[in-house]
Amino acid sequence: MIDLQLDGVSKKYIIQRSDSSPKRWYRRSFRTSKSEMWALSDITFEVKRGEALGIVGHNGAGKTTLLKLLSSITAPTEGEIRIRGRLAALIEVSSGFHPELTGRENVYLHGAMLGMRRSEINRKMDSIIDFSGIENYIDVPVKRYSSGMFVRLGFSVAAHLDPDIVLLDEVLAVGDVSFQAKCLDRISELKRSGRTIVFVSHDLASVYRICERAILLDRGRILMDGNPRSVVAQYQKMALAEHGVPTLLPANTNRPVQCMNISFASPDSETVRTGYPMTARLGYRASTRLRDVVFRVTLFWPSGYVCAQLTNETAGSGMTLEPGSGTIEFQCPVLPIVPGLYRIDVSAEVNGRELDLQRRCATLTVEAGKPVVGDFFIENTWSIQDAPSVERRASPPAGLT
Amino acid sequence: MGNRVSGASEPLLTSATQSALGPAPALVNQEERSTHLRIIRPPAFSLGTILRGLKTLAHYSDLLYTLSMFRLNVRYKQSFLGWAWAAIQPVALMTIYTFIFSNVAKVRTDGIPYPIFVFSALLPWIFFAGSISNSVQGLVAHPSLLTKMYFPREIIPLSYLVAGWIDFLIASVILGGLMLHYHIPLTWNLLYGIPILVLLAAFAAAMALLFSAVQVRFRDVGLAMPFVLQVWMFATPVVYSLQSVPARYRSLFVLDPIATAIDSFRGAVVYGRKPDVYLLGIAAAITVVLLIAAYAYFKASESAMADII
Repeated sequence: MIDLQLDGVSKKYIIQRSDSSPKRWYRRSFRTSKSEMWALSDITFEVKRGEALGIVGHNGAGKTTLLKLLSSITAPTEGEIRIRGRLAALIEVSSGFHPELTGRENVYLHGAMLGMRRSEINRKMDSIIDFSGIENYIDVPVKRYSSGMFVRLGFSVAAHLDPDIVLLDEVLAVGDVSFQAKCLDRISELKRSGRTIVFVSHDLASVYRICERAILLDRGRILMDGNPRSVVAQYQKMALAEHGVPTLLPANTNRPVQCMNISFASPDSETVRTGYPMTARLGYRASTRLRDVVFRVTLFWPSGYVCAQLTNETAGSGMTLEPGSGTIEFQCPVLPIVPGLYRIDVSAEVNGRELDLQRRCATLTVEAGKPVVGDFFIENTWSIQDAPSVERRASPPAGLT
Repeated sequence: MGNRVSGASEPLLTSATQSALGPAPALVNQEERSTHLRIIRPPAFSLGTILRGLKTLAHYSDLLYTLSMFRLNVRYKQSFLGWAWAAIQPVALMTIYTFIFSNVAKVRTDGIPYPIFVFSALLPWIFFAGSISNSVQGLVAHPSLLTKMYFPREIIPLSYLVAGWIDFLIASVILGGLMLHYHIPLTWNLLYGIPILVLLAAFAAAMALLFSAVQVRFRDVGLAMPFVLQVWMFATPVVYSLQSVPARYRSLFVLDPIATAIDSFRGAVVYGRKPDVYLLGIAAAITVVLLIAAYAYFKASESAMADII
């Protein structure tokens, strides 16, 4: 069953000059000073019941416009949107709050704005207050709240909607760690119970976690529609193309040790794949004889967090280098990281002092290899223990008793 | 079978194990999911828009109630006199108009004391003027509501109308007190006041919808509103009676439903007169046409409000 269906949807904004001086006004009656901007053009896709769809793209790619169209905040200029079931948008969860009213009163107000009935709010009130974790302040005007409490209460109300389709927009980036975990739990619950989810985020890691399908938007058009890993990888490639492909800096001969180049390869195939061997080669140049040299190749997630590191450091100390150029080869028998685009830092330390650090100087593209659930491929072996033998199980049931 | 490397077979396994844990208690009845289909198309000015709009409005009726209550709540929240403010404004105006029009200039009232003559017209006028000026500012006062959430936008102006209505009821207690004080006899014709007030509310709704929708695009409406309402008040028989207007101008007043409504209200409540059904009929016809047109215009411009506010 199809829950959401967009058919050739386009959205045009008319941008007016904000200069409203009389002279401008006079001229406007003769020639228009308006310009058109197509925030979305010819968007067509479907979301099946129970599917979780992620939408990624640069700022201004049309993500927010798309959410606004889906939640009826604004109407399309062309095309048609079909929505089956109750839809709830968790966009800016506390925008309906009134500062003078107490938390409890705001729950009624905000709940009603989200389309909840009074009776429904009465029934869920205790649970909403409990989820928000601000019982002690519920009868205080929300103007006395901290920004965190504000958002907690807003999300609690929204989380108690019973929608068929949920639109999420960066709502996870709120509250403290424990509250964020609560929100994620709630979203997984919604997903498990078969709700359709449309999720817009810049946090690419949570797109992986929540969605099984993703759409890449660019300048109002769909560039790619597929599994989240490949869509995110494509998105990152676009981002890189915009900033230029990274390269190692030209050699600076003043340094005693210098990283020259980095490359990744697979000994038995064209591409580097999850679950298969990988070799990384780091070229260096040393100007003098150096002791205790440590090279590091650090891999970063799309989100910018450190993912893993390759290093020659053993028991806290490095190796000894003779003057001249060379290559360090790191060998990974099984590459555990999931498919995607990783960014690379390389550095060299001598006696614990960093002599060369080149940030985000290269990328590593990992292609799909062995199937992975979660963030890592863990190589494992298995066998059946403490169980009836295969032969016994294969025999007719009568033989068991 | 021994040491075989095996990767988990992706999503199937996960969803199976997860659903075995069972959904959260609050979210069970998926069988009862609504399969109601909603189609969103580019906005258009049509009869269908009006009907769909009314259906959605009915669905959000609880929001209208909640929002109206909170309008009152917020207004009087940090004030010392609280609800008394609903009566203070008409009483103050009554006092000054009584001073002017009984001492400085004389107004013909056909034997009714001037305070009650003017108060019985001020109450419906203040309801009308107050709801309109609040609605016009109300829609643009919280842009984040319009750009971040969806609910039928007409609920904002209508909630000011309902709140104004409750203020009207509170101030009516003063009207009752004045009538007792001046020994004005109560007649059954008083009941004509009810349909007249319905007409008044419908006309106020039409004006509130129209002006607040235009205000989103052109803030000139909000700037013009105070003096438009001031001029309108003196063009309406509030401080004077319709009977004292020269006959050749009187036909102009027929075109203003608010003039008919206020004069008929005073006639029914204070004078115990039966209203002129012919005049009320014209006013009602104008009101109905305006209300439908205003609502259609409001709904047609609703979806663009978030873009231009």
